[in-house]
Amino acid sequence: MSDLQYKYIGKPADRVDALEKVTGAAKYVGDYYLPDMLYARALRSELPHARIKHLDTRPALNVPGVIAVITSEDFIDHGRFGFPVKDHFALAFEKVRYVGQAIAAVAAETPEAALNGVKAIICELEPLPGVFDMDHALDPDAPQVGFEREDHKHPNFLDMSPVYKGDPDEVLKDCPVVLHEEYRTVHQEHSYLETEGALAIPTSDGGVTVYCNNQSPFITKGNLVAVLGLDPIKVRVIQPHVGGSFGGKDDLNYLTACQVAALALKAKRPVRMTFSREESMIASYKRDAMHMRITLGADKDGTLRACKAIHTLDSGAYSSQSPFTAWRASIHAMGAYRYDAVKVEVTSVYTNNGFSGAFRGFGNTEACFGIESAIDELAEKLGMDPIDFRLKNCLRVGDVTPHGQKLTESVGLVECLETVRKLSDWDRKRAEYARQTSQDTRCGIGVAVLFHGTSLGAEGVDCATNTIEILPDYSVACASGLTDYGQGPRTVYTLITAEELGISPERVRILLADTDTAIDSGPTVASRSTILAGNAMRVAAQTLARTLNFAAADMLKCEPQRVMRIGEAYVGPNEEPVSWEKVVDHARSMGLVLSAHGKWSAPEIHWDHHKGTGTPYFGYHFAAQVAEVQVDLRIGKTQVLNIWAAHDTGKVIFPQGALGQVYGGITQGLGYALMEEAIYADGYLQSVNFDTYLIPTSMDVPDMTARFVETNFSPGPYGAKNIAEPAMVPTAPAIVNAIYHATGKRIRVLPADLERVALGKSLHKRGSPVSCKVGLKVK
Amino acid sequence: MLHEITLTVNGEQRTVAVKSHHTLLKVLREQLGITSPKIGCENGECGACTVLMNGKAVNSCLVLAVEADGAVIETVENLSKEGELHPLQQAFVEHNAIQCGFCTPGMIMSAKGLLDRNPHPTVDEVKEALAGNLCRCTGYIRIVDAVMDVAKKGDA
Ligand code: FES
Ligand code: FES
Repeated sequence: MSDLQYKYIGKPADRVDALEKVTGAAKYVGDYYLPDMLYARALRSELPHARIKHLDTRPALNVPGVIAVITSEDFIDHGRFGFPVKDHFALAFEKVRYVGQAIAAVAAETPEAALNGVKAIICELEPLPGVFDMDHALDPDAPQVGFEREDHKHPNFLDMSPVYKGDPDEVLKDCPVVLHEEYRTVHQEHSYLETEGALAIPTSDGGVTVYCNNQSPFITKGNLVAVLGLDPIKVRVIQPHVGGSFGGKDDLNYLTACQVAALALKAKRPVRMTFSREESMIASYKRDAMHMRITLGADKDGTLRACKAIHTLDSGAYSSQSPFTAWRASIHAMGAYRYDAVKVEVTSVYTNNGFSGAFRGFGNTEACFGIESAIDELAEKLGMDPIDFRLKNCLRVGDVTPHGQKLTESVGLVECLETVRKLSDWDRKRAEYARQTSQDTRCGIGVAVLFHGTSLGAEGVDCATNTIEILPDYSVACASGLTDYGQGPRTVYTLITAEELGISPERVRILLADTDTAIDSGPTVASRSTILAGNAMRVAAQTLARTLNFAAADMLKCEPQRVMRIGEAYVGPNEEPVSWEKVVDHARSMGLVLSAHGKWSAPEIHWDHHKGTGTPYFGYHFAAQVAEVQVDLRIGKTQVLNIWAAHDTGKVIFPQGALGQVYGGITQGLGYALMEEAIYADGYLQSVNFDTYLIPTSMDVPDMTARFVETNFSPGPYGAKNIAEPAMVPTAPAIVNAIYHATGKRIRVLPADLERVALGKSLHKRGSPVSCKVGLKVK
Repeated sequence: MLHEITLTVNGEQRTVAVKSHHTLLKVLREQLGITSPKIGCENGECGACTVLMNGKAVNSCLVLAVEADGAVIETVENLSKEGELHPLQQAFVEHNAIQCGFCTPGMIMSAKGLLDRNPHPTVDEVKEALAGNLCRCTGYIRIVDAVMDVAKKGDA
């Protein structure tokens, strides 16, 4: 497919929401101040694990300004909630399992009054012993965090995801070179600049309209219907502009939406809850922490033979998405390589360390750090160049993956590796940096590769529906259930619509996500919008284009296939152009319907959860990143100088958007590599605002060079794959491998902060509950 | 206790009665209806609340409203005139320096504060001036590019 055939796909374009955002007009949920609106605040647990002995909310109602207060009693079945495991409640019931868990919620005339109301609630908690070390969560005598299980497994056991191919123990016996190491990653905070929030407005029919900065408004709606017992037609969820999410605005926000909706129905007034930063950091779920044990075996000539990856994932107090995260981690745990035998087992467990959920990369960010570090160590043992070693073993078209899936197309990994090798001047720098002798500062260069399954994979039903309609002013309105919280799919849908209808993108308007106007298309997760909703948008636009073409043929008195386009105009054999508006008018006068639905379903795939084999995803994104660092050996400070990234994204539809994802993803990966660590000490989060939870600033970012390797991916729209998550996944291992090249010190525990780089370990600090306790009670 | 203060906000004189412990950010948003300065951390760490106060970029979450009595305050709402974007806004659009947009108003005001005092900054000076404005989405590169672009054209 040549680029010449497209007018808008792959061409420069501005974001459709750029104007609103640079003028300050874009409204986020916290920007809504309605007359009569109440402010809500939740009473949150100050203990990591406790039984609720006594809860009396009546005193809150005596506080001036307080209008309503709710507990789990105000929901059906106490607001029991959760997918895939129903282990959570809209407000705590009987027990709290983590610091920050909401127990009751108050609505009041002012935020101050709401906070006073919260403080007035009498809540007696009886402390229970907690589980704070995932490696001991399944000990027979470990305190019980989860519910009893029907299968009598340990109550703290959540799930185990395997991948099996052959018997690696047998193969390892034959391998002259074997590596066994352990790697650990820590919890990471999403740090979206906008905290969580929801606004509920009671409607005259007894229902409720909720504005929520969630990712997936239909899931919010489903939860509202379930816990409030409302008729689905009376529940509407609107997603205003969302200030970033990265996987983080799902579960907790569903709970928040349920809380404000219940308060609004009780108070019969609009109620908004927006979190302070402290509340957000303490109450919100994090990227899980993972403990990885990896064994690799190879022949002397550098042929990889066997991989064992036995991982534990700390899901914290609730399941949230962890079974799916663990599954994605298991599928990717062996890396993008060929093996004779593989055994992967990723076990997720309950602890009282906050709770873990979705975060960009979704298990692969963690797993990739493990395997790409191990692969680097093995290359070193073999005396091979890290890129040569990867090239020798990496997946190519025609290979069968360890899961048993034959890769028939769109595997651009070799090209990605060769691209970054060249761009970074790899061979010269590897040699030059190996000769450094300075004891002060040294440079290093390292690589990591990635494969990342597109969309949900065998996790669930995978389809999307978009709608399209021509409005009276000849603009075209489209709706999608897959939403834009900053990544840019509204711009992608716009370009696809303009391309298919042959009209200017200025005519196209993509509605903000609203459950009353869009069609449920599953969750906006897993970097699936471009492929799923992009295809659905294309189908919808093509249907409408056929209708218009038919009308144009009627007008131009020719066969439909003889109608041509010049710009937006339609031209028939007599070569007299007719404007788009005239054709639309004519279609209307013919009585044609000028709206359409487009549905697209992903190819069917299957995974056997017990045998650990099958086809986990219908396609994969491949990438390679090279990092160049300078390390100050005296204080352990790492400055990343450069990142070169080559991503096999398939056809790129919105290049500036895709580049934005790469730059932003690399920056989050850099934070994960070097500075970000959400530490729980006995269940208490130690950093509750940006003064101590550090994320990269403009001063920390390196020069970044990105290239797209556009292999054609036949199921994708125009051959497109995905980008949002894969952008960040290989960054941390590339940086840590570069640090090793510079210093000769292997960091196996993230982040590679000053202490770990300079001393090889983190200095023991005593944790404190104070910042959590204070953070829950201020502002 | 309420204090009456008078501010010039985006060219308009406004008088409001404010509580002594309320911040300029809170008063702008809740009493004056100006919502482009965002609440990011209320701790002086993120820059989402940045406005120009007497021409200087400040974190409005750290300024008490009473301290702003008599001050001239400018927010991003004031930058575009009669549908014409300010060069910084234009550059942010063209460079695709925006994703979720939550940091954008504060980022633009910090950049304006810099260019007003130093119309021809180096890349490092731009990075330094924006170091107090966190952005979790973009990786900053194109924000810096956008500001440099305006500085080079010299039409800020
Ligand atoms: S809200 Fe003012 S600096 Fe973050
Ligand atoms: S664009 Fe989202 S925080 Fe900057």
